[in-house]
Amino acid sequence: MKKFLSVVKREYVQRVRAKMFIVSTILLPLVMSLFGLVPAIILSIETPPMRVAVVDQTGRMYSQLRQALFNDQQEAGTQNANAAAPPTTPRRNFSRFVLEEVDATDQPLDQIRASLDQRLRARELDGYVILPPAFLSEGKAEFVNRNPGDLFSPRVLQSAINRAAREQRLIDAKVDPKTRQELFKTVELQSVKVGAAGDQQQPDSGGSFAIVFGVGFVMYLAILMYGQIILGAVIEEKETRIAEILFSSVKPFTLMMGKLVGVSLVALTQLAIWGIAFSVFALYGVGLLASQGMRASIPSIPFSHYIYFGLFFLLGYFIYATIYALVGSMVTTAQEGGQLAMPIILVLVISFYLFWPVSRSPDSPFSFWVSMIPFTAPVAMLVRIVTQTPPFWQIALSLLIGFSSVLVIMWLASRIYRVGMLMYGKRVSIPEAIRWARQA
Amino acid sequence: MAANETTVKLDGVSKSFGEFTAVRDLSLTVRAGRVFGLLGPNGAGKTTTIRMIVNITAPDSGSILLFGRHIDSNLQDRIGYLPEERGLYKKMRVADQLRFFAEIKNMRGKEIESKIDQWLARVKLSEWKNKRSMELSKGMQQKIQFITSVIHDPDLLILDEPFSGLDPVNVELLKEIVLDLKRAGKTIIFSTHQMEVAEKICDDICLLNRSQKVFEGSLREIKSSFGRNSVAVRCEGGDGVLDDPGLVSKLVRHADEAQALLASGADAQTLLKRLIDSGAVIGKFEMVEPSLNDIFITKVTEPA
Repeated sequence: MKKFLSVVKREYVQRVRAKMFIVSTILLPLVMSLFGLVPAIILSIETPPMRVAVVDQTGRMYSQLRQALFNDQQEAGTQNANAAAPPTTPRRNFSRFVLEEVDATDQPLDQIRASLDQRLRARELDGYVILPPAFLSEGKAEFVNRNPGDLFSPRVLQSAINRAAREQRLIDAKVDPKTRQELFKTVELQSVKVGAAGDQQQPDSGGSFAIVFGVGFVMYLAILMYGQIILGAVIEEKETRIAEILFSSVKPFTLMMGKLVGVSLVALTQLAIWGIAFSVFALYGVGLLASQGMRASIPSIPFSHYIYFGLFFLLGYFIYATIYALVGSMVTTAQEGGQLAMPIILVLVISFYLFWPVSRSPDSPFSFWVSMIPFTAPVAMLVRIVTQTPPFWQIALSLLIGFSSVLVIMWLASRIYRVGMLMYGKRVSIPEAIRWARQA
Repeated sequence: MAANETTVKLDGVSKSFGEFTAVRDLSLTVRAGRVFGLLGPNGAGKTTTIRMIVNITAPDSGSILLFGRHIDSNLQDRIGYLPEERGLYKKMRVADQLRFFAEIKNMRGKEIESKIDQWLARVKLSEWKNKRSMELSKGMQQKIQFITSVIHDPDLLILDEPFSGLDPVNVELLKEIVLDLKRAGKTIIFSTHQMEVAEKICDDICLLNRSQKVFEGSLREIKSSFGRNSVAVRCEGGDGVLDDPGLVSKLVRHADEAQALLASGADAQTLLKRLIDSGAVIGKFEMVEPSLNDIFITKVTEPA
């Protein structure tokens, strides 16, 4: 045990002290936030509003359309904006429109078209809409766009015209304003967990799903970053030719476990630093939003779930990390190992796709089995826990299978490592395997 | 430790890797407080034998007793091992490195610090204590590696080609340390294919060739058993005499002298007389012991 701790300590101290660790701890969040910021900055670049002419041959639609379009923009804008205020600062600037009514009563359509086309070419106009006289009954309109590559504006326009038409038809049908309002009231669908229905209204598992996804993502991140480091750590003694000196003092299994745990503690240290930093920012952000009257709440999740999140995160991390160790025990250089490790990431990604089938039927035999297989259990079992929490024995069994697999894989890795180093490629004989297993 | 105590005893030990037999039916006894030379050409099975003694690999058959007990991982702490394949953690500081190697030998923390200083001073590397090992020269690294094998004061020290690549001054320094350890009652197993080095520091030797033991015993015994049947000669002329197979069975010419192994039945007096009669001018004529190398070659080529 003391030797094991010495190996862990060496691995941990050497790595945490290294410049690489400090640099990556600071740099990664910066890079990540850059990734978050750049699209936001790009989207906030001001583009001039789209100038659209409306040829309203029905004579009743223009004001409705105008209202529909600008109400839309207002909703997308700041919520506390007062309804009477002009729609000056919509947030989604790509949906900004400037409307212009074209008098369609005293000229033939062809003439109007020709003059509008000319204005399009002269870039005085970005597009025009023609609402034919039979528009309200037939529901067919035409939109001429100077920039056919713009996929977004026609859609916004279409939905606005759609709403305007609906409104106008109701008006034509003599439906009073109050009824009209009632008709368009949106429905609220609140998902409620079984058992929690009735007086105690618990919020749905949406928030929990987000956290499961978060746990999975952090797991993925940790494996992506630290898998290769574990691989390197296992190869280190081969490359520096220290292995034989070490094996005259510690058992290969002790060495392997020490390395795995040491590197993992480094990973957890780094994640903890980021986690704390993130929480501080998040709390600050929530406070900021609250001061602006916005409600941002942390989903209410039973305390036991947090423990499961932690346990299955560790399981997921270790099960994949040990595979890297196993690969490391088989190869002699880190590059070689990197190639062999690719399928590992693939399995991890596949386990993410189980999210959907498992969340749809968390009780099915399929869900049961994938939540028992160590490689898919972390995601699958967490999904089951937040949807229909399975009986405790299943959770315990999944953890038991998972962590036992970690030990078995490490044992295997340490054997392959030793044999690979000493036997010059000889395969392990069963009597020898048994003898060494007994000695351990 | 009493002089006749046994530190290591191998009995009928065999080890093979697939088709290849690395060690065949090897028995040997390493006495306490002596320097035991495990000698033989490359690939003779020296390293495999050592690995079995240090419990890195298990024999296929036969038994190994260490300090009178069957080997287990606790006994590993009483062994210091410097393998032929050795290295250091490149980015680790010398002191941290030595501390780690001492810790995995179950040494206590307080003791470690004083031992580190003591040993660094002994190999004259004190000022390198806080340098990373990649900043050290190859010779310096080798001395640090040597310390890793002795820092925990082992009762049995196993050195596999410890001097390869060292300059003469450092070879002398390490040799001195090895002999000091022997005086302190430690047992040393010294493995090498360089017979001249072994000749100077071993008390007992075991010759291995092609996975098998050729000879085991004290260096004195083996040398005297071969007798003084070798002559170092420096002379001008008289070539025909030295080439006479009736007198000289084997002749090795060095730069300015020759070593002649007397043929059975011939004696040195006759050789000297024949040389003088042939008119040769003799600069040197000296009876010498056969070198370990000669013995080894004789033993290996001798029909079993």
